[in-house]
Amino acid sequence: MAAPRVAARRRRRPLDQLLLGLAFVAPALLLNLVFDWYPMFDGVYRSFYRWDGYSTAVWVGLGNFERLLNDSVFRTALWNMVFFLAAAIVLMFPTLVASVILFRIRHQRTQFVYRVLFCIPMVVPWLVITLMWQFMYNPQYGLFNRLIEALGMPDLTQTWLGDPELVKWCLVFMGFPFVTTNAALIYLGGLKSVSESVWEAAALDGAGPVQKFLYLELPLIAGQFKLNLIGTITAAMTGYGTQLILTKGGPGFASMVPGLYMYFSAFKSQKYGYAASIGLTLFLMSLVITLLSMRFFKDTEEA
Amino acid sequence: MATQVQARRQRPFPWAEALKHAAIVLVCLALLFPLFLMVMMSVKDKEQIVYEFFAIRPPFHLENYTIAFGYIAPLISNSVVLAVGSTLLTVSVTALAGYAFGRLEFPLKNLLFGILFAKMMLPGIMNLIPSFTLAWKLGILDTPLPVILFCAGTSQPFWVFVMRTFVAQQPRELFESMRIDGASEFQNFRYLAVPLLRPMIALMSINVFVFVWNDYIWPLVTIQSFEKRPLTVGLAYLTQANPGDYGMLTAGYVIAALPLLVLFFISMRQFIEGLTAGSIKL
Repeated sequence: MAAPRVAARRRRRPLDQLLLGLAFVAPALLLNLVFDWYPMFDGVYRSFYRWDGYSTAVWVGLGNFERLLNDSVFRTALWNMVFFLAAAIVLMFPTLVASVILFRIRHQRTQFVYRVLFCIPMVVPWLVITLMWQFMYNPQYGLFNRLIEALGMPDLTQTWLGDPELVKWCLVFMGFPFVTTNAALIYLGGLKSVSESVWEAAALDGAGPVQKFLYLELPLIAGQFKLNLIGTITAAMTGYGTQLILTKGGPGFASMVPGLYMYFSAFKSQKYGYAASIGLTLFLMSLVITLLSMRFFKDTEEA
Repeated sequence: MATQVQARRQRPFPWAEALKHAAIVLVCLALLFPLFLMVMMSVKDKEQIVYEFFAIRPPFHLENYTIAFGYIAPLISNSVVLAVGSTLLTVSVTALAGYAFGRLEFPLKNLLFGILFAKMMLPGIMNLIPSFTLAWKLGILDTPLPVILFCAGTSQPFWVFVMRTFVAQQPRELFESMRIDGASEFQNFRYLAVPLLRPMIALMSINVFVFVWNDYIWPLVTIQSFEKRPLTVGLAYLTQANPGDYGMLTAGYVIAALPLLVLFFISMRQFIEGLTAGSIKL
């Protein structure tokens, strides 16, 4: 039965096979090359030019990068990025713990209801939730100042996003309760794929809930954690949507991040070459950090 | 016998289980609080928001919804065009490529797949500005095309990857036994593979649709005319243009959130199971 089929397969000439394969993959590949790969290389190329978008681009060599090194705004943005990155990594743990607790709930129907509720924030446009937080922080009408007034402590009201000392903390706190749907679903998927006998063995051993978490669940979803870690690092280093909507990097440059600086350099100051060099720098930095963290995890796994 | 019943009755209240429920319920309440606040404010007028912030009592101002809908209806249809267009293009090229990478044998296959896969692993931050200049040079700014084409170009590597894995996991016999004799490979794909791949295609469609529907920065940059802008960009603009009119604005947010919530509740099971399943293969 198998032999004639293999023979039929072999009879196709390599060139025909290639053409057939290309017919299937060419649309995807072309779109990817033109709209994803090409812009990336174009970005590398442009980062060596000074270009306002209209006149002819001028070759400046490494000039953009030299300027970047001495750019105090960029330096502030980098420090802010480090702050947001550290916060994002620490705040991965509530999601991890919540996922494990959710997974341990025995009643399957209730568990499903909880998972549905977890999913809702992902379906509601991210922008809507961000705008609701903007309202909550509003000094005049917002929830937080109203709460503080209602508690009878009007002296403690804040300007929140308008306060250079507070603004970064406010932006971090927007993640409250720091459970991200996507990451939670990935952890749950990992836990679900573990065979039933493992849990039964753990129950027989009489492991306590915390021990079970540290020695059983945590190692079992190390792969999923790594995946989420890469996503978190890339998002924290290169993301700027929240800042773009809520603070424009302000007050002053108190919440400026490199991604937003790139955006403003291009679309506000028309410095496309400079913006491209910020993009390249940021790209290389997040790539290196991601690779380093992968390396770190590989080492700890082997140890 | 009697002691057994006794023992069962005396079984202590399951504190551990109750604690888990309590923790998760608290998390859910906190997660959903901004949405609760949004709905609560959407039925108030300006005075009620200033003077009775924490109260929920009539009169309920449902006219907020009609006013907001007037602003938002055209934005919704723009968003539908963008999301449906992107989904159709992305899903069709991905299904074709995923099928070929998972099922067919041809020279250069691994190289071509590597090209897609490598880009998937690289951060996309560099792309924004050169993508904008590319769209500009192509003369497609201020049309739905940048969103559709760049979505199909950038989001499909991941889905080709997922689709290829899914195709390769199906038993070979399933495809072979259904092969129509004398039919071209494309007919086999269209009439045999596509029905088999339907759950994966559904999952992918929902994800791409949600992604485009919620996207903000790229349409903000590429679509300048207000009347062509999608929902997210329009909402941010409305919020800036109507400071303090929170009743109308939150009503608009509710309207903006509804289509996807409805889609989600219709396809809930596939959505959650699919998202969970897609991530298992690491």
